[in-house]
Amino acid sequence: MWRDAVLVAGKDLRIELRSRIALQQVGPFGVLVLVLFAFALDPDRGILTRAAPGLFWVAVLFSALLAVQRSLAVEGADGVRDAVRLSGLDPAGIFLGKAAAVAVQLLVLEVVLGAGVVLLYDVHIVGIWTLVAAALSATAGLAAAGSLYGALAAGLRVRETLLPLLLLPVVAPVLIAATRASESALTGTSFEVSAGDWLGLLAVFAVLYIAFGLLAYGPLLED
Amino acid sequence: MSLGIAALVTLAATCVLGLTLPKTVEQAEYSRMIAIHPGIAWTAYVASSVTALASILWLWPRTRHERWDLLAGSSAELATLFTALMLITGSIWGRPTWGVWWVWDARLTLSALMLALLLGYDALRRVPAEPDVRARRSAMAALLALVVVPVNHFAVTWWRTLHQGRSLDLTPKDSLDGSFLAAMTLGFLAMTLVYAWLLVHRVRVARLEDARDDLALEAAIDERRREAIPVAGA
Amino acid sequence: MGYVFAGYGITIASIAAYAGWLLRRARSLSSKP
Repeated sequence: MWRDAVLVAGKDLRIELRSRIALQQVGPFGVLVLVLFAFALDPDRGILTRAAPGLFWVAVLFSALLAVQRSLAVEGADGVRDAVRLSGLDPAGIFLGKAAAVAVQLLVLEVVLGAGVVLLYDVHIVGIWTLVAAALSATAGLAAAGSLYGALAAGLRVRETLLPLLLLPVVAPVLIAATRASESALTGTSFEVSAGDWLGLLAVFAVLYIAFGLLAYGPLLED
Repeated sequence: MSLGIAALVTLAATCVLGLTLPKTVEQAEYSRMIAIHPGIAWTAYVASSVTALASILWLWPRTRHERWDLLAGSSAELATLFTALMLITGSIWGRPTWGVWWVWDARLTLSALMLALLLGYDALRRVPAEPDVRARRSAMAALLALVVVPVNHFAVTWWRTLHQGRSLDLTPKDSLDGSFLAAMTLGFLAMTLVYAWLLVHRVRVARLEDARDDLALEAAIDERRREAIPVAGA
Repeated sequence: MGYVFAGYGITIASIAAYAGWLLRRARSLSSKP
């Protein structure tokens, strides 16, 4: 299974390196969302600084949608999905591989968007390790859930409008938890619910969806 | 059909009883929502649970049967209806207490998320597909949504306890006397009967639709065959 | 009182409309040749 996962992840990432879609389109899209927030909100009254964690994660979520769609489009040509299915690769490995490729792209994106937020929204980071932990577990969950729903919607013509409708409500708790954890990383204060609790919730989400993928990706591919 | 009559009668009785409840000090006439809102909320949860359970029964190879898929899909549609009504009636009920149409308290927010999940499931089911494919796809989607429900619960309740110490309890204090409780209980019964009746008929419609699709498919295949025969003879 | 009536009204109306749709649909589906 691990070998298949590395194989698939490597393939997806190599395709990305060659086509640079994430680099040239998804990344700029994410930054654009940050800029649009500045237009929509008032940059002078400190709203952006206070809302920065939430705005960051919303931008990540929208960009994740694009990254997942891209991950599906890579195999969108006729017959390629069937070929993958018949190739004898372990479905759990395929799932891990695709999710890992999406996760890597998202992590790079988060670094870029994080820099964007620090620069554009005048943000000061106090607890960097909390941020890193939040980013890692949130990304794992996003990539896993995204790959699962992606597989569900893969062959459908309405995939482009259906996938956001399916995925966004499910990752809402990730948005809530990641934002709260990031908030305490930026302000350094702890609230009644500690950052540790939020990180725990993010980890639970990631574990649940990764486990689901390992168990159920095979049947999902059969359509 | 006696189920339909029972549903109709209890629903009408609930409305009459509910609308004639006395006004309360805290909520004036808004406390009359107690007759319908809790019953609707309860039914929404039941309907969602039925969908989840039926999906699991379909996915489990030993219990797989077409009837579970039809049940899951039908109940989901009803769950969407009742969840939407829950949000509407809840919003109306809370207006005098909150002063606004919507507050982001834990229960309302969780219900709104539930509605979003249900709408996604309904949309997925509407994608044209063979019954087997549709069944598996829908059941997977139902499970994926089921898995997130407990996570949602913690995320939203933790989030909202930071900002609102008191949980918004809609029942006015001086109202737990007989008539209010009676109205609420009747409402539970009425909504459950209504759901049951609607479910029976929705499943029937689903079966008829699948049967019609099968016939249409067979007709198309027959026509294709008839076209092919002269060519084979030539 | 208006909003309470509206709440009851929306509830009854939507249930009735859905029930009506179900009955009509069942009838049209089972009457086709």
